[in-house]
Amino acid sequence: MTSFEYTNRLAKPRLGLGPAGPFPDTPLNDPIDRRWLHYAFLSRDGKKALVANSSWLGPGENEPPGTERFATILLLHDGDGPWHSSQFNARTERPPWSAFSRPHAHRAPQSLTITSANGSPAVALELQRTSRNCTSQCAFFANHQHLRWQSETGVLAKGTWTTDTEQSVDLVGYHERVRGRWGWPDLGEWVFGFANDLGADPDEPPEWACVFTFIRPEADCREATASMMLWHRGRMIRHFPRRNVSFAVRGELDRDRISTAPPLATLLGTGAMSPIPRRLAIIARQGDDHVVLDFDADWAVRIVIPSETSLHPFSVHEVVGACLLEGSVNGRRFAVETRGIVEFSGGAHVD
Amino acid sequence: MSISGGDVLADTVAALSKRAPAIIAAAARELGEIRLHLVFGDGTASLMQARQSTLDVIPAQDEDVGDVEVHFDRRTLNLLFDAAQRPSEQALERSLDMRGTREDLLAVWRCFKLLSQRASGLRSVQAIWSAYRDQTRALWSGAAEQVPVTRARGAAYWDHAGWPALDWLDRRHPAQQEMLARDEPVLAPARSLWNGREAESWQATRDIFDNDLMVTMDRCKKLVVDDILSIIPKKPPQKDLYALMTDYVQREGKGLRPTLVIATCLALGGRLDDAVRAASALEMFHNGFLVHDDIADESTHRRGLPTLHEAHGIGLAVNTGDAMHLFAVDMALSNLATIGLARTLGIIHEILHMCRETVEGQAVELGWIRRNFVPSRDADYSRMSTKKTGWYTCMSPCRIGAVAAGVTEPALLDRLNEPLRLTGIAFQIQDDILNLIGETEVYGKEALGDLLEGKRTVMMIHLFRECDNATRKRMTEINALPRLEKPFDYALEMLAAMQKEDSIAYSIAHADRLANAGVKKFEADLKWIPETPGKAVLRQVSNYVTTRAL
Repeated sequence: MTSFEYTNRLAKPRLGLGPAGPFPDTPLNDPIDRRWLHYAFLSRDGKKALVANSSWLGPGENEPPGTERFATILLLHDGDGPWHSSQFNARTERPPWSAFSRPHAHRAPQSLTITSANGSPAVALELQRTSRNCTSQCAFFANHQHLRWQSETGVLAKGTWTTDTEQSVDLVGYHERVRGRWGWPDLGEWVFGFANDLGADPDEPPEWACVFTFIRPEADCREATASMMLWHRGRMIRHFPRRNVSFAVRGELDRDRISTAPPLATLLGTGAMSPIPRRLAIIARQGDDHVVLDFDADWAVRIVIPSETSLHPFSVHEVVGACLLEGSVNGRRFAVETRGIVEFSGGAHVD
Repeated sequence: MSISGGDVLADTVAALSKRAPAIIAAAARELGEIRLHLVFGDGTASLMQARQSTLDVIPAQDEDVGDVEVHFDRRTLNLLFDAAQRPSEQALERSLDMRGTREDLLAVWRCFKLLSQRASGLRSVQAIWSAYRDQTRALWSGAAEQVPVTRARGAAYWDHAGWPALDWLDRRHPAQQEMLARDEPVLAPARSLWNGREAESWQATRDIFDNDLMVTMDRCKKLVVDDILSIIPKKPPQKDLYALMTDYVQREGKGLRPTLVIATCLALGGRLDDAVRAASALEMFHNGFLVHDDIADESTHRRGLPTLHEAHGIGLAVNTGDAMHLFAVDMALSNLATIGLARTLGIIHEILHMCRETVEGQAVELGWIRRNFVPSRDADYSRMSTKKTGWYTCMSPCRIGAVAAGVTEPALLDRLNEPLRLTGIAFQIQDDILNLIGETEVYGKEALGDLLEGKRTVMMIHLFRECDNATRKRMTEINALPRLEKPFDYALEMLAAMQKEDSIAYSIAHADRLANAGVKKFEADLKWIPETPGKAVLRQVSNYVTTRAL
């Protein structure tokens, strides 16, 4: 069994309206060229969480240009307890569903199935967009290394999910595409996340939603970047840029509430990571507009990602918890109590 | 109307008395009988005193004096308002002066900690301080011009939320009571990751702790050694002083003390940097003691290499040990720049207490050796070892780590004592056993060195208690010989006698009993420490002595 699937095929345009996507048709030529599609969903009652990632990595040292390694991982969390995780070789469509493939109509369900090699965990979902994506953003660091990303909130998912048993689920979530060229130690660490108003009309986009980012490259903290984006009924209405956002954390999440994924990582004696902050506060402020996100972590899974350029792996902690999203835009106040998913990532530094 | 420093204090206490009487009562309990005299930079002064469950604040007259005197300059008082400022920025040289006994100062500090934490969450108190700040705006560091805006008001806690998120987080979720309820480190301060200009890592204790205790101890030791090396001067006299110090601190060692300081500090919500400097001071004291101890014991090897006096002569070794103690004091004082006055005083007090216990324990043992006396009861050994080892190896490092994290309540600190005392004694007995049966390369000291120097160990006490009179007489004669006149064969003879009387097996079992009792006490007495990675390391250390290969 291999951990990765190799391919040199790229998605072929299905229609003559720009790239079928979700990425431009340009090959990955370097071992640290990479792109991925990220999915994160929460059930409407906030008890279930799904995180999945499909990634393409550039050719290894002796592989011809254009060769890509494709890997997918699926993580499910249900109520109080540890996460269920596949290895990095979960099966899915090629290319997987993406809101960034064009043309892509709203309200048109399309399928996304992800299945662990041993059959569990697995999901078979019909996804549909309700919202518009944000503008693409880019972080530069460490001599021409970069990370570009674009997000979309309010993605609805209905279907089945299987851990021990199969059950129907109704989820609301977030989708993201990422493309770039970086080594994990140079990238340093990030805090990413989103929150949707889970209590909104199930047939409408979330009343309020937000996505936030904070990237802190290892070598030079002046290269750090941050942003907070706010959606209202499917449209991104505010983008608070770098200087207008602040992040603070406090406390530590009980380490008994953190699982490690993929399961193989626990066999390899992966070293410990720093404690995950228990509470995250973000304040975005621009003119008279402001947004506050107050996140209180409940459970987390640490995804251990091998690093191509350092011995220490890169760890992405997917953290679920309650959050309060409130603020004032154009003089109109809002406050939403919901749940969100936050990523605390880092750890691939060079000794 | 101008607002004075005295007015701000009186108004703040009055507001708290109305809005949070329980906090005032708790603060009054902390203040006790202490009469606090505060002199502000604007020329006003106040007297503060507890009266039953309330605090009285009255303007002070020129002739008034207090048990504790606190003098602020104007800038310092202003900075008290700004929660994001580091303590070092508050306690600038000649800007803040506190006088009184150590206990009184710490009590005042705890009293004000209670008041400030609660006060910072009250809008009425914020209004008092904002008004004070506004009238002296020029003194506030980096105060941006703020244009008052009329903004719709929402939930009760949302009022001019402030910038950056750090302020908001502390205001929205005042640390103490909420975190206690959530079983989190009660003193864990909020940390800024990004304030629009400066980025900090979310990884507060980056890669310090590992599932492998040995890796953790290596990392902690490395942090401390690097910190010490950064302080040792690079100027002459290198060859006869600083090079010796540099060499000595880099020798192989387990790193137990640095690990305990760092783990305790982080377990209680302290910062890694604060723990490292405190641990460095402790480690420097430890090194100085070892150098002198080796001379007193006439030891030949330490940490796998010749002792300093063996390699460089007694004169240079004594001087190097003295220098280490001087640097240790310097390092302890340098905490002022990072963790502030109160905690630095607390750390110095803990170090002094540790030194006193250690020299008392050392005196007991050296007295036994000088009088060629071997106690007959394990309890005598326990009393000596508690002083000589319990405090030195385990209790004080943990207490210092706790103080570095801001825990100065004697009742809480004392709860660290018993589990760590048991662990420390078990650790010492195991070390003594290893000296008899361990490999020199692994153990680091010369084999049977303890028998040659006549060290009173559990094995020796057991041997003297159990052997027949003839053997006891012979062993007494061997002990009476000075180390340099004691042939190695005599040490082997004593070892054989110990093996015959099963003294080593007895000591292994005794250490095991103590270690297991330590683990039980750890779980029972330290429930108040939240289950964090720092506590997990402490637990690992506690269990380490039960599983150490002998």
